[in-house]
Amino acid sequence: MEVSDVFRLGAGVFSLVGVGLCVALWLVRLEKMSAERKINLGITTISGIAFFKLLALVALFAVPAATVGVANYHTVVGVHDVDSCNLCHVMTPMITDMRDPHSETLAARHYRHGWIPKDQCYECHSDYGLAGDMRAKMEGYRHLARYTTGTYSEPIEYRGVFSNSNCLKCHSDTPAFRAVSSHVTVAALLKDNTMSCLNCHGAAHPTREQRTPGSPDYDRLMGGAE
Amino acid sequence: MGGLGATTAVAFASWGALELMVPPGTADEWHKSVCRFCGTGCTVRVGMTDGQVVDVRGHEAGHNKGVICVKGSMLPALTRIEDRLTTPMIRRNGELQPASWDEALDLVAERFAEIRDNHGPDALAYYGSGQLLTEETYTANKLFKGGLGSNNVDGNPRLCMASAAAGYVSVFGKDEPPGSYADIDYADFIFIFGANPVECHPPLWEHVQRRRASHRDTFVVCVDPRVSPTARDSDLHLPVIPGTDLLLLNAMAQVIIEDDLVDHEFLNKHVLFRDQTGFIEFDRFKELISEYTPENVAGRLGIGADVIRHVAHRFATANAATSLWTMGANQRTQGTAINIMLNSLHLLTGQICRPGATPFSVTGQPNACGGVRDTGSLSHLLPAGRAVANPQHRAEVEERWGLPQGRISPNPGFHAVELFRAMEDGRVKGALIMCTNPAQSMPDSDRYAAAMQNCFTVVSEIVADSETAKAADVLLPAALWVEKEGVMGQGERRYQIVEKLMEPPGEARSDLWILTELAERLGYGDLISARTPEDVWDEWRKFSADTVYNFEGMTYERLRKEPGLQWPCPDEDHPGTVRRFVEGDDPFVPEGAGIKFYGHPEGKARITFCPYVPSPEQLSNEFPLYLTTGRVLEQWHTGTMTGRIKELNGAAGPAVFTISPIDARARGVSSGDLIVVTSAFGEVEGRARIDKDMRPGLLFAAFYDAKMLVNKVVADHVDPVSREPEYKVTAAQFRKAGV
Repeated sequence: MEVSDVFRLGAGVFSLVGVGLCVALWLVRLEKMSAERKINLGITTISGIAFFKLLALVALFAVPAATVGVANYHTVVGVHDVDSCNLCHVMTPMITDMRDPHSETLAARHYRHGWIPKDQCYECHSDYGLAGDMRAKMEGYRHLARYTTGTYSEPIEYRGVFSNSNCLKCHSDTPAFRAVSSHVTVAALLKDNTMSCLNCHGAAHPTREQRTPGSPDYDRLMGGAE
Repeated sequence: MGGLGATTAVAFASWGALELMVPPGTADEWHKSVCRFCGTGCTVRVGMTDGQVVDVRGHEAGHNKGVICVKGSMLPALTRIEDRLTTPMIRRNGELQPASWDEALDLVAERFAEIRDNHGPDALAYYGSGQLLTEETYTANKLFKGGLGSNNVDGNPRLCMASAAAGYVSVFGKDEPPGSYADIDYADFIFIFGANPVECHPPLWEHVQRRRASHRDTFVVCVDPRVSPTARDSDLHLPVIPGTDLLLLNAMAQVIIEDDLVDHEFLNKHVLFRDQTGFIEFDRFKELISEYTPENVAGRLGIGADVIRHVAHRFATANAATSLWTMGANQRTQGTAINIMLNSLHLLTGQICRPGATPFSVTGQPNACGGVRDTGSLSHLLPAGRAVANPQHRAEVEERWGLPQGRISPNPGFHAVELFRAMEDGRVKGALIMCTNPAQSMPDSDRYAAAMQNCFTVVSEIVADSETAKAADVLLPAALWVEKEGVMGQGERRYQIVEKLMEPPGEARSDLWILTELAERLGYGDLISARTPEDVWDEWRKFSADTVYNFEGMTYERLRKEPGLQWPCPDEDHPGTVRRFVEGDDPFVPEGAGIKFYGHPEGKARITFCPYVPSPEQLSNEFPLYLTTGRVLEQWHTGTMTGRIKELNGAAGPAVFTISPIDARARGVSSGDLIVVTSAFGEVEGRARIDKDMRPGLLFAAFYDAKMLVNKVVADHVDPVSREPEYKVTAAQFRKAGV
């Protein structure tokens, strides 16, 4: 069982518990509650009113908060995996290509060699650190909005600036990287993204032309026949 | 309902805010263009903001699939280099002084007319470049050959690909490669011969690497005397002794024939054999080549007979073999022979005219093919594959240019080396040099730099301090790259347009403008009637229509939209020709023919037996080492452009002589020491760098650095057919400076 599955299960259990508690609250007969009535909880004894308040607190706040938290954690972390990206069909060409053992794209070469063992899309498309995660989530929300409202057209095109930091976070400390003298002299340009790593090191994904419906490669990239 | 509405509003507001938060790209607008540097001819996207080039990226729809190299990545800096020449200069009292365009051009026209009238048109010359735009070179060729009446039209492509052109013409009847870069995508045997694409054509090497990464059984062989970066990354390196590699090709042919690896059906249908006297039978060719057994040549080549046999078998039995070669094959006194044999290996084995199987001469400059070879702007050529020496060809060109019959001189002009010798001895008295730096790039360069001093030399340049600019009597400021518009044609017959995106600095003008203004002043305004790039292009495009170069379908409108087109491309609906001589792809191959080598009247390709002739540069006690030259990754040609970009300069550093530890030890030299390199042509000082992989007896230097001008000591012998000089083989010696 994957971690994300645990969180999915957890969110489901919390939801059921919350529903159960709400039903229990609904069934409570308030007129029978009094400060004098004592309820033994095993570790302590509390009044009926206090028990009611506690039950209400758990049912109305704690359980929903936990449910939302677990669900959000799933939304934030569970969607790191490649299959989550593949839920939107416009991403399918990228993922089909990445998994193609004969593809020459950078994504496929990284995948084939196991250079990024998991969550391959997210690893290259979220900038470094918490801010990077935040930006990726915001972009994810924007993509979701576009996708669900149909306000996009194929082939999709990268907007903004792909940050070289996604490449450099793995490569910049390697001997192979440092052995290329021009990597040192263009370091400032790479850092501020005015020169792209992809210039010299090739396309990361299938071209727009290949991803255009009707192109000779489109059906294959969408997972159809070779 | 209210809550639902509020939630929806928040969701949409968040989305809107996020759309606004997407960071802007690195440029306001993007334009398709072509890299200014090497002959790979990478399609690029040029990012512009406020009229300035701020970013350049590889164009994913180009043949380069989005890949460019570090030089191409620095193109924005090229548009901002310091010390640009911004005003015409005239030498007065020994010093170049600013002048107006009218003063400068009037002086040039006056002096050229005076030389023509007093000494004849052959006393005038044009020396151009594989970096000018096609419209510019076409116009210069027309002005000099059709207007002034001088066939002394040559240029730096003579120094880099004349042997390749001569080889293709000999074998296929017409110049230019039959295949495409796309063939690399299908090859499982890649034969890199006298080339170093890792440094000199990085996007092509990336192409090779992608093929290897996706098809692990792809086998790469590199033939190079030096352990170049390409040799280091190949599967097999054949470190042949400089000047001997025709022996390798002949021995491979011998093995292929002896071991019956020949594609007999292909040969019977499509190939004829020749020797130096005429056509011969296959059996006679077999007899002639029989002396080149691997055992016979191994000692002279410096590699084992078994390795030769192995490579010949792998070449012949590959599913698809592609050969890539550059200056190591071309810049040789047997350059034409080497080119013929490289093509011939493909014909013998049928490794041609199908995906992945092609003999490909990779060129060095971005428009040597389209601009110079195709427009016939060399001293022995006329446009679209015609020859000066052919009366019918002259008549055809005269008719198209509206000239009286007999206007074009029947005498081929001076080839590059001879042209500079003619400046030296006074046969040429006036020369226009455009977009090139021969004072640094010519072999035996001191001699030819001095020759320019004997001549009225007009130089169109981007900077005032190039070695050639220093020799100018009149210096004209030229526009550079996207400061002007025109077409460039690279190695795979692909023509691409460079659109004008910004104004040149100061008073700099396009070379086309300079040529048309000069034509007007010389009285050839009617002949040079096309004045805009598009008008010149249309004239040239229509000129090509009844030739096998036909690219009439490549209008500016199409070229602006598409990432280049490969000729033949006879009409505006034609997609271009990926593989020449192949039915269904090449429009000149008739239905049912399958393959037709229509360049020769017999409709067949020709394999000519080429005996090995040792280089004139032989080792001696005085010069016991071989010097060979080349390029490095971050610098291009003579460094007039890349040498002004700090990121590239910093990465490449000053030029050095690379030497072997054994040779260094024998002379008491350590890395960083100043050494003096001598040859029969002169001497030059430079720093030594000891490379543990360098073979003993070999010296290597790049020619980008004017402060260590290696071409001062490089041999200027030329190939007897192509007239291309032998840059790659010079007998030399070195010693520690001050000893």
